[in-house]
Amino acid sequence: MLPTPLALIAEITHRCPLHCVYCSNPLEMQKAAVELPTEDWLRVFREAGKLGVLHLHLTGGEPLARTDLTELIVGARAAGLYVNLITSGIGLTEPRLAALVEAGLEHIQLSFQDSREAEANEFAGTRTHAYKLQLSRIIRQFKIAFTVNVVVHRQNLDHLVDIIAMAEELGPDRLEIANVQYYGWALRNRDLLLPTRLQVEESQRTVAEAEERLRGRMRIDFTAPDYYARYPKACMGGWGRRLLLLDPAGQVLPCHAAGVIPGMQFDNIREHPLDWIWRESAAFQRFRGKDWMPEPCRSCDRRTEDFGGCRCQAFLLTGDAAATDPVCTLAPTHIVVEQALKQIGSDGVLSSIPTLPANWIYRPNPGTAPE
Amino acid sequence: MPGPNKNSKPHLAAGCRWAEANGPERMLMFPEGALRLQGTGREILERCDGQRSIREIIDELQAQYKTGDSGRIEQEVSKFLESLQQKRIVDF
Repeated sequence: MLPTPLALIAEITHRCPLHCVYCSNPLEMQKAAVELPTEDWLRVFREAGKLGVLHLHLTGGEPLARTDLTELIVGARAAGLYVNLITSGIGLTEPRLAALVEAGLEHIQLSFQDSREAEANEFAGTRTHAYKLQLSRIIRQFKIAFTVNVVVHRQNLDHLVDIIAMAEELGPDRLEIANVQYYGWALRNRDLLLPTRLQVEESQRTVAEAEERLRGRMRIDFTAPDYYARYPKACMGGWGRRLLLLDPAGQVLPCHAAGVIPGMQFDNIREHPLDWIWRESAAFQRFRGKDWMPEPCRSCDRRTEDFGGCRCQAFLLTGDAAATDPVCTLAPTHIVVEQALKQIGSDGVLSSIPTLPANWIYRPNPGTAPE
Repeated sequence: MPGPNKNSKPHLAAGCRWAEANGPERMLMFPEGALRLQGTGREILERCDGQRSIREIIDELQAQYKTGDSGRIEQEVSKFLESLQQKRIVDF
């Protein structure tokens, strides 16, 4: 039976005042001129509600760069969707937040890059850390769910105790500590971002201790780096199984990175209803279910749990999107992951971490060349 | 944060709400997730209105399920609410 999508990730713009070195946007971003107009987004939200989607994640780029954000939230709530805003906070003021909450915003997820200002600004390629701290205090005055999100990697994992302490002071309901995933911009900066084994083990202990201490007060969700995992992540909960992603121009993708897979054609909401794209479009059917799976996935007991891992990672690391995710220790190509870890001296001691400043490749704004 | 006691008045945490649609089961929406609820789970959460205390919720459910084991109902309510507090769905 065809699954019902649970969430719609709406990249409403690729414009962003930040230039994070691990941005999840594709290397080829959509320019402002091709962004969907308000009425198209509102139609998509209505179609999503009818399709059974529960959650809408408004993201970007920086979603606050859209001047019609309030209207989009009103429309999404009218369509029955639960509305989450994933933001850097840049462009948000107290009056604007009041308007978004009034419009029906229910959850705000604010990103931080580190607990230390100089480093945070370096990873973001802009001076935004101090403003985020100020903004958190404003957010806390509103009756909405508040998540602090911190992306972690080799250059900031050693600050994890301080990062958790910073979050405790800001007082969100939830702290999301997400290890960088290596696609697009992050893959380009992988040698600077990939943590060591010791860092990963230490961070797991730190998180476990904090979870115990903060139980009932602040929930912590931690995503470990899959390069160190035994088995792959169930990427997006399985291809075309749980999630839909719309890019700013109206293309519908099964995940953030699917555009890297050669030969994929993504249908556009300007030409097809969302329901048809979900059920019948070639892109959503390409890796849905089990028929595409190679061995060892096809006969593996875990195939209904991890769905063979991530198709984009398989392509990026092995050149074959239909291969077993190479982070899996059972994958015939697992050696490529071991080599990447070896290259950064992953088994070395903490003091071998290179010191900043590093030669980052920053994510530019759409339509401009990288710096 | 003090743990809940029988006089605590549970209510849905900020950013948590019931979905519009109604039926034999009801859906509770919260950040990054949703719970399908029916039976006692639904009965308990629908009483988390910030007005009733945990004691009152237990009393109401014991009265409603007269045939049930009252000790078990008390335990079930406390355990359920505690787990929802940890998920940041219920506050006291």
